[in-house]
Amino acid sequence: MSKGTVNINVHHVTRIEGHGNIVLNARNGKIEKLEWQVPEAPRFFEAMVRGRSYEDIQTIVSRICGICSISHSLVATKAVENAIGVEVSEQTDKVRLLMHFSEQFQSHVLHVGYLVAPDLFGAPSVVPLVAKAPDAVKTIIGLHRLANEWSELIAGRITHPVTLRPGGMTKVPTEKELRELQDRIKKCMPNLKVVADVVFSVAGNLPNFERPTEYISLKQDKPPTYTFYHGEIGSTDCEDTVPVNAWKSVANEYVVDQSTAKWAKWHRDSYAVGALARFNNNAEMLSSGAKAIAKKFGLKKGCCNPYMNSIAQLAETVHVAEAAIQLIDQLLTKGVKPETVRVSPRAGKASGAVEAPRGILFHEYEFDRKGNCVGADCCIPTNQNHANIQKDFEKLVPEILNESEDSIRLKLEMLVRAYDPCVSCSTHMLDVQFVE
Amino acid sequence: MFDAGNQKSKIRLQKSTVVLGLGNPLMGDEGIGVHLVEQLARTAAQYPSVDFLDAGTGGLSVLHYIEGRRKAVVIDCAFMDEEPGVIRRFTPDQVRSRKVLAHQSLHEADLMQVLAVARQLGQGPEQVVLFGIQPERVELGQGLSPTLTDKIDEYISLILDELKG
Repeated sequence: MSKGTVNINVHHVTRIEGHGNIVLNARNGKIEKLEWQVPEAPRFFEAMVRGRSYEDIQTIVSRICGICSISHSLVATKAVENAIGVEVSEQTDKVRLLMHFSEQFQSHVLHVGYLVAPDLFGAPSVVPLVAKAPDAVKTIIGLHRLANEWSELIAGRITHPVTLRPGGMTKVPTEKELRELQDRIKKCMPNLKVVADVVFSVAGNLPNFERPTEYISLKQDKPPTYTFYHGEIGSTDCEDTVPVNAWKSVANEYVVDQSTAKWAKWHRDSYAVGALARFNNNAEMLSSGAKAIAKKFGLKKGCCNPYMNSIAQLAETVHVAEAAIQLIDQLLTKGVKPETVRVSPRAGKASGAVEAPRGILFHEYEFDRKGNCVGADCCIPTNQNHANIQKDFEKLVPEILNESEDSIRLKLEMLVRAYDPCVSCSTHMLDVQFVE
Repeated sequence: MFDAGNQKSKIRLQKSTVVLGLGNPLMGDEGIGVHLVEQLARTAAQYPSVDFLDAGTGGLSVLHYIEGRRKAVVIDCAFMDEEPGVIRRFTPDQVRSRKVLAHQSLHEADLMQVLAVARQLGQGPEQVVLFGIQPERVELGQGLSPTLTDKIDEYISLILDELKG
């Protein structure tokens, strides 16, 4: 037992990667310091697109994030099209939605399988989990492989899509390819159930913690949809939605001493975005299989346990698989035709929004009459969640301060992992010492 | 722009060898792997059994790029305590990873760990060769440092030797 005296400093300042730091100092049950710190250098991606043509924006911003590259490309394309006044065909819209589903599927499978499952199984990472639960890991990897091939087919490659252009797509899949993809997705459904069963077997290890929270996501009423791509900005704290172009009145970004990343708030001190936010705003529109997953885990609309974000991700994984099967049917019924994309630049300024796997993502661009970018602003889901992580810490820690330091540290780390923050967008995958 | 080979070869039609370029070209020298594979892809016609792929910052997706291959050649910016611009060829057995993962996010990855998972699952290639390039400048901004830019031909030549061998 810690007896209320704790010194936790999960500090990961590794060059410029800027992992978040968890700092907790408590003495005799009194909290002296408790901070979620994000010391990353400001990214200034907006500066990189200034002066660039409207045709290049989506390609550049796809590199902001390797996990959410489709979302960044899609939202940029939408914002550019809004700014220069272009509407896309129904076919383009559906193909892009299918592309977007692949990223939700991939990211959620990876997050639940590689980041959350090790916690639930008591493994420090996925590497030892391979030995503990090899079949589960192989099932996850199989689903991950499907997601990769799905995005490769529609986006032109696994990460950093190349088929998106303002006004349309440079390549669309053939009907034969779509049928094959649909068949693959149908065949994966039993494997999704296996993953859900495995997670369910250890779901008792998800901490039981709640904090009333404002949840923000896209909402779409016409037609009623569990939306990732269309609609306006909605909140669990209000009935009315806000147009996407007014996103700055929602995010209200501000700076704090403990973090170089911006924070956000709307009706309360903080808000949350992500799978649980989408679930809390739109749960009744989930597919039948996704609803069954939510029911199995006792996930109900109004849930304010942030650890349940991973369960909402599981439900969404089933939803996007079932929705993709339907979407492919719709595409095949109408027939898929190659399209010619012709767009003329003009001056304009507008925003776009999509739901990235981690939550609502906003991009705004302004162009001169030649179509060169003169201004840009990106608001990523992780920055919108930072304040909420801090507020969760402040409610959680007093409730668990009598637990061991290891237990407190694990619960704080699991909380951060539940949000899956995007705080490191360059990989630095190799940091090695030669041993021979 | 960042368009190596346009990834025409689907994974399911994969070739026996894959050359992967990793990194983020918006972060200076961090993008050296992507820059190099983009150039190498121009020689693809001379290497019919090799896929040249820009894997960017896909992290764990490396598992699927290398699965089922006979050989994987991975090019990335690497911290190796060398002078900026130095390129080193090595195999996974020749190094020990110093990378500390926060395990907070999918957005971080340790290539050595990804390769270890592939090996544990029996899904790794028979042979893995890495080309690490010590960066001079890893910070926001497109384009390589002059130190690395001046050595591009040397890097390309070394990597092509690996494919010829």
